[in-house]
Amino acid sequence: MRKMGVKEWLLIVPTLLLIAIFSLWPVVQSFTYTFFDYRLNNQQKAGLYLSERFNASLFNETQMYLTMFLDEDLPNIKAAGDQDRVASLNKDLSSVAQKYKNEKGVIKINKQEKTSIEQLHKNAKELVTSLNQKYKLIHKDDLPHVVNDLQKCVIPSNFIGLQGYKQALSDTRVGIALGNTLVFTIISVFLELVLGLGLALVLNKAMFGQGMIRTTSLIPWAIPTAVAALMWSYLFNGSSGIIAHLFEMVGLVDKSQDLLLSGSGAMASTILADVWKTTPYMALLLLAGLQNISKDLYEAASIDGATKIQSFFKVTLPLLKPSILVALLFRTLDAFRVFDLIYVLTGGGPGGETETMSIYAYKVMFGQTNFGYGSIIVMLMFVCVAIIAIIFVKFLGANLMERS
Amino acid sequence: MQSSKRKLWITFGIVVVVYLIAMVFPFFWVFVTSFKTSGEIFGTGAFRVIPKEPTLQNYITVLFEKNILNSIKNSLIVATTTTIYIIVVATFSAYAISRFHFKGKNILLGLILAVSMFPQMVVIGPVYNLFENLKWLNSYAVVLPYSTITLPMAVWILVTHFNQIPGALEESAKMDGATTFQTLYKIIFPLAAPGVFTTAIITFISAWNEFLLTITLNPNAEYHTVPVGISFLRTQFEILWGQVSAATVIVTIPTLIIVLIFQRQIVSGLTSGGVKE
Repeated sequence: MRKMGVKEWLLIVPTLLLIAIFSLWPVVQSFTYTFFDYRLNNQQKAGLYLSERFNASLFNETQMYLTMFLDEDLPNIKAAGDQDRVASLNKDLSSVAQKYKNEKGVIKINKQEKTSIEQLHKNAKELVTSLNQKYKLIHKDDLPHVVNDLQKCVIPSNFIGLQGYKQALSDTRVGIALGNTLVFTIISVFLELVLGLGLALVLNKAMFGQGMIRTTSLIPWAIPTAVAALMWSYLFNGSSGIIAHLFEMVGLVDKSQDLLLSGSGAMASTILADVWKTTPYMALLLLAGLQNISKDLYEAASIDGATKIQSFFKVTLPLLKPSILVALLFRTLDAFRVFDLIYVLTGGGPGGETETMSIYAYKVMFGQTNFGYGSIIVMLMFVCVAIIAIIFVKFLGANLMERS
Repeated sequence: MQSSKRKLWITFGIVVVVYLIAMVFPFFWVFVTSFKTSGEIFGTGAFRVIPKEPTLQNYITVLFEKNILNSIKNSLIVATTTTIYIIVVATFSAYAISRFHFKGKNILLGLILAVSMFPQMVVIGPVYNLFENLKWLNSYAVVLPYSTITLPMAVWILVTHFNQIPGALEESAKMDGATTFQTLYKIIFPLAAPGVFTTAIITFISAWNEFLLTITLNPNAEYHTVPVGISFLRTQFEILWGQVSAATVIVTIPTLIIVLIFQRQIVSGLTSGGVKE
C-alpha cells in the first residue's frame, strides 16, 4: 500500500463533505435543540435564543396600530391632561420606532434598549387602562391587545438546560414508546433469525428451485416498506381483509375487527408484516455464510461419529457466528428505528399501542412542531442505538473491521 | 436409510412450498382485488378469488386521477440522480481507502459504519431547518440528504470489491507513468465494473424506497415519490382498497423488473455488504 499524497486526499473530500453536512452536523444540531424550548409555530420560541432578543417587525407593526388607534380615539379623550399624556406616549413610541425603522425580523438588543422598551410598554399599559376607565373609546377592546403585543416584542431566552430531559424521563408516553419499540425489535428480530436460519439451512441443501426461491425472496425485500405496509393494512383490515378473516376462522382472534383495533393484535400485525418483509433477506445473508463453510468439515465430523444435530451445534453455528452477528446487528438497528412500516400500517394506533420512539418523535416534531422536545426523544433513541451497537461490536470483536 | 432420506426431502419440499406461498400470496391477493369493484370488495364478494365483474376502473382512476405516474416519475428522477452522484463519490473514496495508507483511516471507516447505524430521525430536524432557510423544501434537492442512507453502504460494498482486485496491476501502471486518476479510470474501473454496478443497483433500490426524508422535506404532492404518494391513498376516513391495490400493482412492476434482471448482482451486493467473506 502506498502513502497518500495531496491529490489522493481529494478522492475522500466529497465523501467527507457529504457526511459532515448531512449526517454529523445535524446530529450536533439536534443535540443543541434539546437544551431549548424550541417550537416552530410559536413566534417567541421559533429560534435558539440564549439571550433575549427583540422582534423588530412585530414592534414596527404594533407601534403603527397603537398610534393609529390612539389618534382615532383622541376626540373622545376630553381632559387636556390626558391628551398631553397621549401625545407624549406617541412621541416616545415614534422616537423608539425611528431607531428600528430599518430592522426586520428578530434582532439582538442590549440591556439599555430592552429597559426602554419595557418602560414604554409599562407607560402605555397604564395610560390605556386609565383612559378606558374614564372614557368610552372606539378601540376599547383592541388597545389592550395591541399594548400586550408591545411586551411580546421582547423575546425571552428559551434556553431551558436539562429541563427537557427531566420532562422526558417522567413522560409516561416516552416509556410506553420505548417499551413498544423494544417489544417490536426483540420479537421481530428473534423470529426473523430463527425462520431465516431454518430457511437458509433448507436452501443450502436444496438441489432444485434455488433460483426461483431467490427471486421470490428478493421481491419483499426490494419493494418499498410503505407499499408493503399498505398491502398488509388491506390484508389485516377488519371488514374485507382476508388474513384477518383467516385468523378469525382459525380462532386466533374473536372477531376479524379486533386484529387492528386491539393493542396486542395491532402489534402482532406489525411484527408479522416486518417478518414477512425481512426474513427472506436474513435467509439470503445467512445462506451466503453457510456456503462459505467447507464441506470437508462436515465429512470429518461425520467420520468422528457426530450426528446431524451435533454437527449443526459444533460446526455450523460456531462458523456461522460472525455472519449471524453482523446480520443481527443491522436487523436490530433497523427494527429499532422502524418508522414507515408502522406509520403506514397503524399510525401508532390504536391509542398509542404501537407507537414506537420514531413515531412519537415524528409526531412531536412535525405534528406539534415542537423541535426541542422531539429532539430529546430522538437523542434518547440515539443513545439506545449506540448501546445496541456497542454490545454487538463487543461480541463481534475485530470481525467487523477485519472485513475491510 | 433410503426412507429417512425421502422423509427429509418431503419435509424440505413442504417447507419450500409453504415459504413460496407465504411470500407470493399477499401480491396475488392484491392483484385479484385490483380488478374488483368497490361493491364486491366491501360486500359478500370480499373473499372471492375470481372477481365476479372484473373491472379496470381502479387502474384508470389511479393512473389518471390520482396521478400515480407523477410519483413514479419523481421516484425515477430522485433515485437515478442519487445513484449517479453517490456512485461517483463512493468510488473515489472507496478506492482511496482500499489502496492507500493514511492517518485516521480506521477512524474514517468507523465513522462511515457509525453513520449507517444512525436513526434517520436524528438528522431530519436540522436538515428540515436547513432546507427551509435555503428555500429547498419541495424540490429535488432532497437527493442530497439521501446520502445519509446510501453513501455509507455504497462505500462499504465498494471497498470490499476493490480489495479483491490485485494491486500488482496498478503497480505496473504506475511504472509506466500513469497518474492516480488515470489508474482509476483505465485499470480499476473496468475491473471493478461488476462491483460498481452491484452497488449502483442497491443504491437505486434504497433511494427508490426512501420515505421519511421525502414526506418531511417535500410535503407538496407534486414532489411525492412512490412510497409517499401511495401512503396518501390511505386517508383517515375512507380507504378505497381497489385503488390502493391497483396502485400497489403498478408500483411493484418496476421493482419486479429490476429484481428479475439483476437478482445475481443484488444478492452479491447484499452479501458482500453484510457478511464476512
